[in-house]
Amino acid sequence: MYSDFIITGIYLVLMFAAGLFFSRNIKNTSDYFLAARSAPWFWIMGSIWATNIGFLHGYLAHGGAAYEWGLIQANFEWFQGPFGYILSGIFFIAFYWRAGIFTVPQFLERRYGAAISTIYSFAWLIIFVVTIAAELYLGGMFLKNILHIPFWPTVFVLTAVVGTYTLLGGLGAAIMMEFVQFIIMMLGTLPLLFILLNIVGGFAGIKHVLISQWGVSSQYFTVLPDIHHPYGPGPWIILGQCLVVTLGWCAGHQSMVQRNLGARSLYDAKLGYVAASIPKTLGAFLYIVPMIAAPIIFSQFGIFVEKSDAAYGKLILNLLPQGMVGLFIAGLLSAGLSSISSVLNSSSTMVIKDFYERFFVKGKSDHHYFIAGRIATFGVIAVSLLLVPVVLKVYLIMWLEQTLIAMVLGPFMGVLMLAIFWKRANTPGSLAGFLTGGAFAIFMQQVMHINIFFQISWWSFVVTLAVTVVVSLLTKPPDKAKIEGLIWESDFKAKLGVVVSQRAETNGTRVLAVPEIKIHKPAWYLNLKYWATAVLLIQIILLFFFG
Amino acid sequence: MRKSVIVLAGLLFLFVVTAARGQEKFIDVRQSMADNLTAVKTAVKAADWTAALEKFGKAREIWEAGVKPIILGGVKSDTQFQEYFGRIGEVETGFGVIGQLLESRNGAEVEAKVNAVIWGISHHPRGFNVPEPRYTVWDWVFGLGIGLGFLVFAIFFGLKLRRSYYRRYLKTPDRGKG
Repeated sequence: MYSDFIITGIYLVLMFAAGLFFSRNIKNTSDYFLAARSAPWFWIMGSIWATNIGFLHGYLAHGGAAYEWGLIQANFEWFQGPFGYILSGIFFIAFYWRAGIFTVPQFLERRYGAAISTIYSFAWLIIFVVTIAAELYLGGMFLKNILHIPFWPTVFVLTAVVGTYTLLGGLGAAIMMEFVQFIIMMLGTLPLLFILLNIVGGFAGIKHVLISQWGVSSQYFTVLPDIHHPYGPGPWIILGQCLVVTLGWCAGHQSMVQRNLGARSLYDAKLGYVAASIPKTLGAFLYIVPMIAAPIIFSQFGIFVEKSDAAYGKLILNLLPQGMVGLFIAGLLSAGLSSISSVLNSSSTMVIKDFYERFFVKGKSDHHYFIAGRIATFGVIAVSLLLVPVVLKVYLIMWLEQTLIAMVLGPFMGVLMLAIFWKRANTPGSLAGFLTGGAFAIFMQQVMHINIFFQISWWSFVVTLAVTVVVSLLTKPPDKAKIEGLIWESDFKAKLGVVVSQRAETNGTRVLAVPEIKIHKPAWYLNLKYWATAVLLIQIILLFFFG
Repeated sequence: MRKSVIVLAGLLFLFVVTAARGQEKFIDVRQSMADNLTAVKTAVKAADWTAALEKFGKAREIWEAGVKPIILGGVKSDTQFQEYFGRIGEVETGFGVIGQLLESRNGAEVEAKVNAVIWGISHHPRGFNVPEPRYTVWDWVFGLGIGLGFLVFAIFFGLKLRRSYYRRYLKTPDRGKG
């Protein structure tokens, strides 16, 4: 126990010191919000995965949902890799990159106007604050269970560590820290899989016990269950997850996109995103497969588990030897802190760029916004801390966050797809579509009592598409000059963002210098096509064996 | 003004912390019961029957005074408690058997019975209650027809667009000067 305490303490002190070290050269908003556009592809890869995988979307809540529902939860790994990471890396990031933006809502603003981007920013800010609160709660509960230390002091220590380096270092420090944490996570948490599989006799052993001896349905072991499944029917996973949630998450989640915008070139941004899909896919073996074996271990060894979100912590506490638990905690804390840090940094970016600079204090110096960014970071984490007790009341944290996201991602994907691929989509159409789609998602959840968030996402996406098309056709088409460079067919005319940049300056909007797009022949092992093909092959093999 | 803001923020914080503590109670009492039952196993392994009986008594007391009342009270208003309500009989039978085994100093089956009681107060996966698959024509129509069909289309269409974009880009005389 003492060795675990010491390892955890050393880890937290090192993370704190490393954060301060990485933050020493941060001087302006470009450094703070976009890491001075200097990150190479492998930093982006590690950072994206570490951002995506935390307490909430990885080990604890996501793993908890796997404990609850089985292998179906792996669809987040095995479908988000090819359909989210690769498609977003190849298509959507190029648009954001060329537009020289800080935030996704800034792209929406240039294509559709201020109203829709403000609503979108506000919705995401709510999700981000809830996400940080959930991450803090899960981290506090995890350490309470493992090290038997009180919940609230733990939450405050976690907040202080992650808050300080994010507040001081911005995206630059966050990306570098996340890369380090990516390696610690991988190395620190992989041993559990082998220890577990050794105890239960491999994946076949898990299936044998649960299906043959306990009489559990074979649907516990499939990623695409039938249409009657209460949590994630297969058809809705394909329609809602693959086509809407996954793409919307990867192309619309500020934390994910912001890491790509901090890359040193467009190629690095794309390759970083595509390469990140490999650890994303393999992540299922770190926290999904172990959690499917967890019920056998708990019943066999008499381990008490109070709720699914706590199951992962109970597993490592009871299976791993002392000392190794400390290393494991370091790996898990890396996951949690990196996710909190990225969402925190993205929230402050949105607060400053999408609200403060746009509506409250315009035309101030870069230094002013840089300081305001740090204050916003502090404000966001303070509000999140106050929300932790509210999150405590939610039975399955993953459900809360997924429901909120379902209400935003369907409408977002509807207007984004039309923004990029349909010239005729205009401001009134998109606004009507976005609001109707969002309202329909709430209606489905609150009035029709549909709790399958893939289904909500799909239908809100369809409603948004339909309303946007109809209203756009009934109203004036958008000004051609205004949308030049923002839709696929004509983006090469924009001469890599010059038109966008000039128009933005005319409108008085502050933009970054549009980065140069370097077309170069990469070494064969950095070829985007090879990486994408490798990911797709891994997916096919996994689905063949486990699907 | 500043003082009143600080006081209000402090009061708000105290309120939420107090509210949160109530939520933790159901977890804490079950954890305490499980810890005592685990101690029973350890004591039986060491053939310390007095300690085993003492820890067993404590676990039973926590069950009677802490866990069971919360389940009985909670099940009326919160569906979360339904799974535990359904296992009350199982847990009480388990207590009866363990009590008899300890009284007769028969340690052979204590561990298995204690593990069963701990598992009885633990949260069970809801996926265990899902029926066997009943794939229908709608699964194939939605899933394979619309879903996978659209995905294949999106990938090929996207690759085509990307290729045409770079072809046009490479023909642009002032490329890279943006």
